[in-house]
Amino acid sequence: MAAHRPRIVGFCCERHGMDAVVLAARSGKTHDASVRLVQVPCSGRVDGLHILKALEDGADAVVVLGCLEKNCYYDTGSIEGRKRVAYVKSMLKEAGVEPERVEMFNAASTNAWAFPEMVSKMADVVKRLGPLGSGGEER
Amino acid sequence: MKCNIQVVICECCVSKPALLDIPALQKIASEAGNVTSVIIADAVCDGENLSGVMKEAREKEVDRAIVLACHKRDVDPSLFKAYARAGVPANLIEIVNLREEVVLPGAAEPERAQAKAEAKLNAAVARVRMLEPLEKDTEEMRTRNIVIIGAGVAGQAAAEVAARSGAHTIMIEKTGKSLKSPGVLMPHTTVIDGKGYGGNFTLRIKAGEKVEDLDCAAVIVATGGGWATLKGPLAKACKDAIPLFKLHEKLESDTTPAGPVVIVDTPDPSGKNVKVQDFAWEESLETAARLKKAKPDTDVWIVFQEMRAFGLSELAYKEAAELGVRFVRYDKPAPPKIDPKEPTKLTVKDSAQAEVISINFGTLVFASIPANADNARIADALRIPMSPEGGVRRGSMQRWPVSTPRPGVFVCGSALFPKSRAVAEAEGTAAGELAAEFVKKGEIEFGGIIAKVEQEKCSACLTCVRTCPYEAPFIGEAGKIEIKAQLCQGCGMCAGICPSKAIELLNYTDDQLGTEARTLLGGDF
Repeated sequence: MAAHRPRIVGFCCERHGMDAVVLAARSGKTHDASVRLVQVPCSGRVDGLHILKALEDGADAVVVLGCLEKNCYYDTGSIEGRKRVAYVKSMLKEAGVEPERVEMFNAASTNAWAFPEMVSKMADVVKRLGPLGSGGEER
Repeated sequence: MKCNIQVVICECCVSKPALLDIPALQKIASEAGNVTSVIIADAVCDGENLSGVMKEAREKEVDRAIVLACHKRDVDPSLFKAYARAGVPANLIEIVNLREEVVLPGAAEPERAQAKAEAKLNAAVARVRMLEPLEKDTEEMRTRNIVIIGAGVAGQAAAEVAARSGAHTIMIEKTGKSLKSPGVLMPHTTVIDGKGYGGNFTLRIKAGEKVEDLDCAAVIVATGGGWATLKGPLAKACKDAIPLFKLHEKLESDTTPAGPVVIVDTPDPSGKNVKVQDFAWEESLETAARLKKAKPDTDVWIVFQEMRAFGLSELAYKEAAELGVRFVRYDKPAPPKIDPKEPTKLTVKDSAQAEVISINFGTLVFASIPANADNARIADALRIPMSPEGGVRRGSMQRWPVSTPRPGVFVCGSALFPKSRAVAEAEGTAAGELAAEFVKKGEIEFGGIIAKVEQEKCSACLTCVRTCPYEAPFIGEAGKIEIKAQLCQGCGMCAGICPSKAIELLNYTDDQLGTEARTLLGGDF
């Protein structure tokens, strides 16, 4: 059987987040294909529900990529995003799911390294923890 | 739901390097429900190809489009304009970034890239099916005035350019120094508050002792740097120190500064309050060389942490050195010191020679200056964010260098962070041009991708009111939240935080985002 491929959903803000993704590609950086990007206008748009739904739909990990907190296009958006992610983490902990599966990252549009680094970090997390649900009953 | 989707595959974006199986993508697209037209275009941004796409769009009466191409903001605007003419509004066009998300980073694993591209196509189809046309409204601008706050180098450049393109400018200046302006000039005036939105601002200004309201369509913030203030331990110890531009003025008016002249890169070598600004190197080199040329007998010292002479200022460095300007380099942990009891003596450890030297100076000059203290008040009045250094923050270093996140408010020159005259002038020109273009439209377009409240669900908890950075949500007549469409920037923070799920961000609804994520997870790659 082939090794499990991580399934990562990334909610990516259209501003610095997406710019960082684009810059990474243009500067020749490759990353694992397993990340599925969903564009949102701002990381503050991400609702805890979106993250939980994605996990329910089969994601092994969910990341939110936003602007740097002091340089967010929408001023306080990435701070809101961070709070949302922290809230989801606390809920996952209560539910017995590893909170490391959900993470918030920040990038400036000039940080070409940020996105590939984020993907490899999360892929490592999934590799370490295994697919979601593998600890308990079969999905 | 009934809709006709057109899928355009831009070969320019997705087939270099040749990684994806484009016929397979075409097949998937044509078999997907609601897709009535699939076109492979050479380069969709090219006018000739675009007109072919549009011809087909008209024939098949498509009302939605998916373009497999590159980054949304790098797609030529002519595509959106052409689709708008063919009856497809911009929000119903889904640009799928295959180039930077799949093709370029996935070159090592073509099969996975192909599967990912297919999943992205499927997700786009699923998403586009759920999109709804959004209405846009317009509002006439009451005036077409451009208010320029600050009459410095940047402000004057902005006013000149804006006036040349036919806009009416009103320049507000805190001081009464001799100024020139192509439009109205208001000296001794400050902005104390503001309301409204890009296109229809009302600024409350204080002219002398009189407080009045001033309507305008656009605002250019050109407040400049904190030239009058010097912060930091060195400035505290030597009260007579002057900023670099004062030395410049002295040279200009042919006054001899008391020698020896010492130029220190910053009054605060720890960098806590005043960072060394990049113009400081260039300007101190040029000024020192000029001073030395005019008064060869004056000793001139430049005391610095590091010297970066960019481009042609390397020549100024050479010239200054040849003219006999003396350079002393210090390390940050051992900053230059002035004993307040002896405020004309600077002690510094020269890191190149590892010895402590003391310089008795006649004039102490600081090259870097703090941000303007007025920025906080103006940012507050205009509701624009500030940078950690105390300047006004721009939209983005690369994409919107002289715009703020708020439409209709532009920023230029040292209001962002202290900079040289040449850069300030260039930025002022850009801001003036943009502001003139903004007011030329004559009307404000709003709506589209904005938040919408389902009033039955709203419990008026005010969470959105506290969260919104733009003050768009307010309590309406029914005692429920309403969104002021002109103020909404479409970030969706309120939709994300609403505990009753009463707010949706149009075009990015919970349903649409969830479906997209689910479809993407359906792919195996």
